[in-house]
Amino acid sequence: MDIPQDNSIVSPQTFPYMVAAFASLVGLGLIVDVLRGKNGVPDGTEPGDPYSPINWKTMGIVAAAIGMHVILLETAGYVLAATVCFWGVAYAFGSRRILKDFLISAVFASIVYLAFSRGLNINLPAGIFDGILDNG
Amino acid sequence: MGSNFTLLLDGFQTVFTPTNLMFGLLGTFLGTLVGVLPGIGPALAIGLLLPITLTVNPTSALIMFAAIFYGAMYGGSTTSILLNTPGESGSVITALEGNKMAKAGRAGAALATAAIGSFVAGTIATILLAFGAPLLAEFALTIQPAGYLALIILAFATVGTLLGTSRIRGLIALSMGLVIGLIGADLQSGALRLTFGNLNAIDGIETVTVIVAIFALGETLYLASRHTLVKASVLQVDGKAWMTRQDFKRSWKPWLRGTAIGFPLGVVPAGGSEVPTFLSYGVEKALSKNKDEFGKGAIEGVAGPEAANNANAAGVLVPMLALGLPTSATAAVVLVAFQSFNIQPGPMLFQTNPEIVWSLIASLFVGNFLLLVLNLPLIRFWVMLLKIPTHYLYAGITTFALLGAYALNNSTFDLQVALAVGVIGFLFRRFGVPITPLIIGAILGPLSELYFKRSLQISQGDWGILIDGTFPKVIYGILILVIIGPLVWNFKKSFAIKK
Repeated sequence: MDIPQDNSIVSPQTFPYMVAAFASLVGLGLIVDVLRGKNGVPDGTEPGDPYSPINWKTMGIVAAAIGMHVILLETAGYVLAATVCFWGVAYAFGSRRILKDFLISAVFASIVYLAFSRGLNINLPAGIFDGILDNG
Repeated sequence: MGSNFTLLLDGFQTVFTPTNLMFGLLGTFLGTLVGVLPGIGPALAIGLLLPITLTVNPTSALIMFAAIFYGAMYGGSTTSILLNTPGESGSVITALEGNKMAKAGRAGAALATAAIGSFVAGTIATILLAFGAPLLAEFALTIQPAGYLALIILAFATVGTLLGTSRIRGLIALSMGLVIGLIGADLQSGALRLTFGNLNAIDGIETVTVIVAIFALGETLYLASRHTLVKASVLQVDGKAWMTRQDFKRSWKPWLRGTAIGFPLGVVPAGGSEVPTFLSYGVEKALSKNKDEFGKGAIEGVAGPEAANNANAAGVLVPMLALGLPTSATAAVVLVAFQSFNIQPGPMLFQTNPEIVWSLIASLFVGNFLLLVLNLPLIRFWVMLLKIPTHYLYAGITTFALLGAYALNNSTFDLQVALAVGVIGFLFRRFGVPITPLIIGAILGPLSELYFKRSLQISQGDWGILIDGTFPKVIYGILILVIIGPLVWNFKKSFAIKK
């Protein structure tokens, strides 16, 4: 890394090295812990079996929904991005009423958009709806 | 002390303007609304509501935060009682007895003792806060940078090792938080650290993004990963949320005892709200005449821990306000909320912005009172919220969390960070790594480096200054006790078992 010229006594590298040493130490501790058979126990605050295997499909859909939000936000606008995200998560959580969910998602996204851009003056990207939702 | 009292009265005067009172009412309402939603604890609730206050003036916003703070706490207990999904460690005990009471048709009494107990504990704790925080702040002015560094390291040790089930996992979370805190330009030299050439990372990682993403996105990903979703059923509230004379008689002592246990353990960072609530439960069980009712829905088992939980939360605000050191996730969010208005909590705050501190304290009183007035009559409305289907609930939480992450800087980089942190949050949840140490590490890491550098600058590079003087020595002494104490305890226990 580039270290700018300065006359401070402590280099900007000193503290990161200390953090690195600490992280390596506890990392090593964790490896030992796991090798000794102490795998982590999920905090059981929800009902159900904490040891049930990971359902990669549903989790993947949620991750994809979040990813779509990130991609769509500044290209297609907030309303579309939020609609897709809301709909995707609802689908992953087992809802199969696709049309109803889509309507609810769109209404939710529009209300949030209007409330924030109108009511609170926080600008969210209008995207393809530029000039449609903003009039009035 | 007299002048502090005058300042407090001034604070009340600030709060009692129609606009500010409206913000207080709105905060109470929104705090409870978000807190009631299953899976949302107080820290996440405040984090999610942060964008709403971005365009509000600082005083009104802080008044709103005080109200949100208590509202979210209360909302959480409602969920525990009626749905048996605590969502945060402080409400586990409430769920234990409260849910049993609700099943036995005594939901109204459980909700009432939780609400009134929270009010009593909150009020007493806020009085103690109003007297204690200025004293601590005055003392804190005499602490040298090396002393502050010692305090932060002590906070790291307690938060890292006392939370959760595994000490090493707490420290893992802490070290990851410290690394996140390092990202960006070094405050003093401007050297870029861990940015990997990304220009967006120069300003560092936004703490609110980390908090919101690790709780909301991590939790959503975790729940989605579970093979089957078990539906928890919402219990009905029969009749009014109120308690009988007999219930009162059994509740008032647990309220006071809970407060006495919760507040000091909040001021001294003793590892979150888990310890005080469990302690309070144990005490009530030991003292109760109705021991056989415990585990089947004893009102004392709701009254005590609920009071302890609330008093604890107010106690945590003492070091947060007076020293600028947050020791719980909730206090960390409140600190970040302060910082978003360019207000830096700490001993200087009482001198530079007394009006802000005292209106915050006054609004804690007011928010607490509004809760009591608002919540019991509105209980049917809150119960309705519990019936939102899970898929819409988490869809809404996810979307709103992403909005919060984006709205702070209007940058998609923050959203990418949110997704990455969400995945970390999922792994943490899955493998039993506590989340709070990561947040504390990310917030206090940069601060500890600052004090570290200042100390060495004062001493011209002599590391001896770090343990120079009485105060750092005392703190490091306590640190050694905190680390060694549990080890000795465990060793003795395992020895006794072998025998």
